[in-house]
Amino acid sequence: MRGPCLPENLQSEQLAAAAAQPVETHVSVQLRHRIGTLEIDVDFKLTRPWTILFGPSGSGKTTILRAIAGLLRPDQGRIVVTMPIPMHEQPLALVDTDAGVFVPAHQRRIRLAPQQPCLFPHMKVLENIWYGAPIALNRHSEPRGIDGMPGVLEDFDLAHASGSLPHRLSGGEAQRVNLARAVAATGSRLLLFDEPFTGMDARRRDRLLPLLQEKLAKRCTPVLSVTHDVAEAFQLGAEVIELADGRVIDQGPVEVVLAEERRRLLGQLGNPTSQNRDVGHPI
Amino acid sequence: MDTQALWLTLRLALSSTAVLLLIALPVAWWIASGTGAARALVQAVVALPLVLPPTVLGFYLLVALGPLTAPGRLIIRLLGHPLAFSFSGLVVGSVLYSLPFAVQPLVAGFRAVDAALLEVAATLGASPLRAFRTIALPLAKPSLVTAAVLTFTHTVGEFGVVLMIGGNIPGATQTLSIVLYDQVQDFNYAAANRTAALLLAFSLVTLLLIYWRRSVDARSLLA
Repeated sequence: MRGPCLPENLQSEQLAAAAAQPVETHVSVQLRHRIGTLEIDVDFKLTRPWTILFGPSGSGKTTILRAIAGLLRPDQGRIVVTMPIPMHEQPLALVDTDAGVFVPAHQRRIRLAPQQPCLFPHMKVLENIWYGAPIALNRHSEPRGIDGMPGVLEDFDLAHASGSLPHRLSGGEAQRVNLARAVAATGSRLLLFDEPFTGMDARRRDRLLPLLQEKLAKRCTPVLSVTHDVAEAFQLGAEVIELADGRVIDQGPVEVVLAEERRRLLGQLGNPTSQNRDVGHPI
Repeated sequence: MDTQALWLTLRLALSSTAVLLLIALPVAWWIASGTGAARALVQAVVALPLVLPPTVLGFYLLVALGPLTAPGRLIIRLLGHPLAFSFSGLVVGSVLYSLPFAVQPLVAGFRAVDAALLEVAATLGASPLRAFRTIALPLAKPSLVTAAVLTFTHTVGEFGVVLMIGGNIPGATQTLSIVLYDQVQDFNYAAANRTAALLLAFSLVTLLLIYWRRSVDARSLLA
């Protein structure tokens, strides 16, 4: 289903090499950080196109995203990015507290869509979406879409609002601009979404999610997204890293890691195929 | 009406405002972007002209810019004349005297900019300078206007510093407020009245413009 991983702007021989060797960007994260009473201590690798950080509120998900994005200096840790071979990039340490390495956020090329849509209030929707793609300087044309083609506005269903200022948008529209802006940024190594589909109606999410997943995988930009929505995790079929109290308690395919959560949820819905008697919800 | 003094006053106010904004923007941005003892010290020094008698500031400037100190001698050698009792000297004095009126509104304006916006800009690849230029500065624009207008009006109305370091040289350092003082000394109340009325009307109109603009801004945000 997923095509070979093809980065933008490749020479033809590099293209061939990329097709022969569909290597993904790998990110290894090792962090120790104390925030309030929560002691975060995690060590995980991102090797799949889409990985989900799953866990209850207050388990440290957002803090981990902020540390990866470079908005927070961890007490101790090491974050290393390894890019696909055609990009000719050596493993790059973004953070290495032992070696005194800290690459500032604006040089990491890691885009973060925060949980609260954080739109530039004085810029129109199109200018907001443009912000991370300053190389394409023709401001009158549309930003390149999620797979390097025009169409970001259509993908996120924002064409009607492109000229609006953020305070005129509905909550759902603001959320989509927030996401579209991170996606439209050029040269990204990794996208971080903090509960990207919260507040979005289910039908829109069902349309947007597979579209994003497919186009981002084609563009070779991995995603780490935070959610506590089991349905969303299953819909993505993603790799899941389960967190509790600042620790990784499980990592693996969604069907395995969240099997128990799924059973519980189905039990609550009264699905006849689930073992709702075991869960203790006689419906 | 002393048009020479009026022209000189406006020229002084314009030059001081331009120089001040260049200095105040980075200083205010630095103060607003963190906390600590160094920032508290700079803020205290910047606020000094608010509480200090202008004559104290003028006296120190007069001494510092004159031939008694090393910097003063250097300036004299570079310019060929002392800064004191010259138009440039007045600009230096006005800049220091109006510093808090430029810095404080800007600090408030920059502090009001949501730090999360600057964080998002950074994750989208914006250097600190680009984030300042494209996010912080446009969002703090009302404060920038306030700072400029306050500086301008404050310079127009300044007296003590100008008298101390400028003397009272028509065409070079004699501003409207000093003309007014001279007119009163000469018991020329009719002329003094015209000068005073002009200064009063000017100050009132500019303040009116600031507050009216603010209410318009507030309304456009609510719309």
